[in-house]
Amino acid sequence: MSSKTSPRSTGKSGGKSTGKGTGKGTGRPGRKPVKPIKPALPWGMITLGAIVAIVAASIIGYGVYSVRDAGKPFGERRAQQIDGLKSFRKSNPNDLGRNHVPGKQTYKQSPPVGGNHNLRWQNCEGDVYNAEIPKEQAVHSMEHGAVWVTYNPDLPKDQVDALAKKVRGKDFTLMSPYPGLDKPISLQAWGFQLKLDKASDKRVAKFISGFARAASVEPGAGCAAGETATGTEPAAAPQGQTPPTGG
Amino acid sequence: MAAFVAILVGVLALAVGFGTGVFVAEPRHPRDASAEAGFARDMSNHHGQAVSMAIEEYQATADPALRQIAVDMALTQQGQIGIMQTWLRTWGLEANSGDRPMAWMGTPVAEGELMPGMANEAERTKLRHASGREKDILFCQLMLRHHLGGIHMVDGVLSRTQDEQVRELAQSMKDAQQFEVGALRKRLTALGATP
Repeated sequence: MSSKTSPRSTGKSGGKSTGKGTGKGTGRPGRKPVKPIKPALPWGMITLGAIVAIVAASIIGYGVYSVRDAGKPFGERRAQQIDGLKSFRKSNPNDLGRNHVPGKQTYKQSPPVGGNHNLRWQNCEGDVYNAEIPKEQAVHSMEHGAVWVTYNPDLPKDQVDALAKKVRGKDFTLMSPYPGLDKPISLQAWGFQLKLDKASDKRVAKFISGFARAASVEPGAGCAAGETATGTEPAAAPQGQTPPTGG
Repeated sequence: MAAFVAILVGVLALAVGFGTGVFVAEPRHPRDASAEAGFARDMSNHHGQAVSMAIEEYQATADPALRQIAVDMALTQQGQIGIMQTWLRTWGLEANSGDRPMAWMGTPVAEGELMPGMANEAERTKLRHASGREKDILFCQLMLRHHLGGIHMVDGVLSRTQDEQVRELAQSMKDAQQFEVGALRKRLTALGATP
């Protein structure tokens, strides 16, 4: 092994002093100043440590995020974040009464997103209605978790068909024309609304996926055995009974 | 240096211990794309139609045997929907996923199509407008087909899960529905009709 030039002697042959107690005037004859070797960084250990830290942080981070997301109130979870979605549960709790009331109702939102409603719900097992349905019954359907797809009667037939394709066979959805709708399409679930321009909008599927059944404020309630007729008058209260409130 | 190694070993030991504790001691929750989650979602919807047809038949039929079959079906399956929805909540999963129905079985149902055995819109409307013996026959035919489709999905989850509570419910569905298939076939014969 040739060691003609070793770290100890490189560039310092001029007898420069390094550190304390060496060099001129220390009275130690013939001893060359020793320059300490700087040890190389333990890159292997550092890399391994970094990998362990990153993996651990990712697992913990993901776990914390998942738990926190699942714990968020309905409507605020990741699956329900949709561009343009209007949320009324927090801002308009007084518009979201749950009583059973007879007759026509006035709702603040158009189409309504909730509120006091008829004893009867509109059948919402993916029912596609080709005429207007009573709002008061659709609202009850939404209390059970249905997504109510509404469209302006002017909507071109091919778009109506495209919407219908997303509703048919999908439990906890219903669809009907809504005269006077201020946009081509409006999707509703209890306390939520999303108005859109085109049936091809990807948010239609997102809304249905995020809210159908999930938006129910009456767990366990279903969409079967509902009214299947169209019209504007809500069902009359059964004779001889006062409709129960709530439920 | 030695201290760094010691810390690293310590962290690894803690992670291994934590992981073992989580996976062994705590119940492992099925993930969003799992067979268990897919089954809970799809069977809830499948059951929903059975409940719908059964409750309609219960109210309409004059046949005491069919009335009993129908009410049993409606109440039991509605209850089972509740069980499956509670599983999803416990697992921290949403009621729906972005996947097509039955994607978890490798046979995704395309948009516009229905899960196996389900009645389509025309058949539901026909049943709704039917009455008397005609309605009874139609109910038995539709429900028989519905059950067979349901059993197919139950077999799908039984071959894909070790989850005890899922297996228990799925097996009980299969047992009950196989029995009901026999009962429906008998009623059809008695009504002078075929599946």
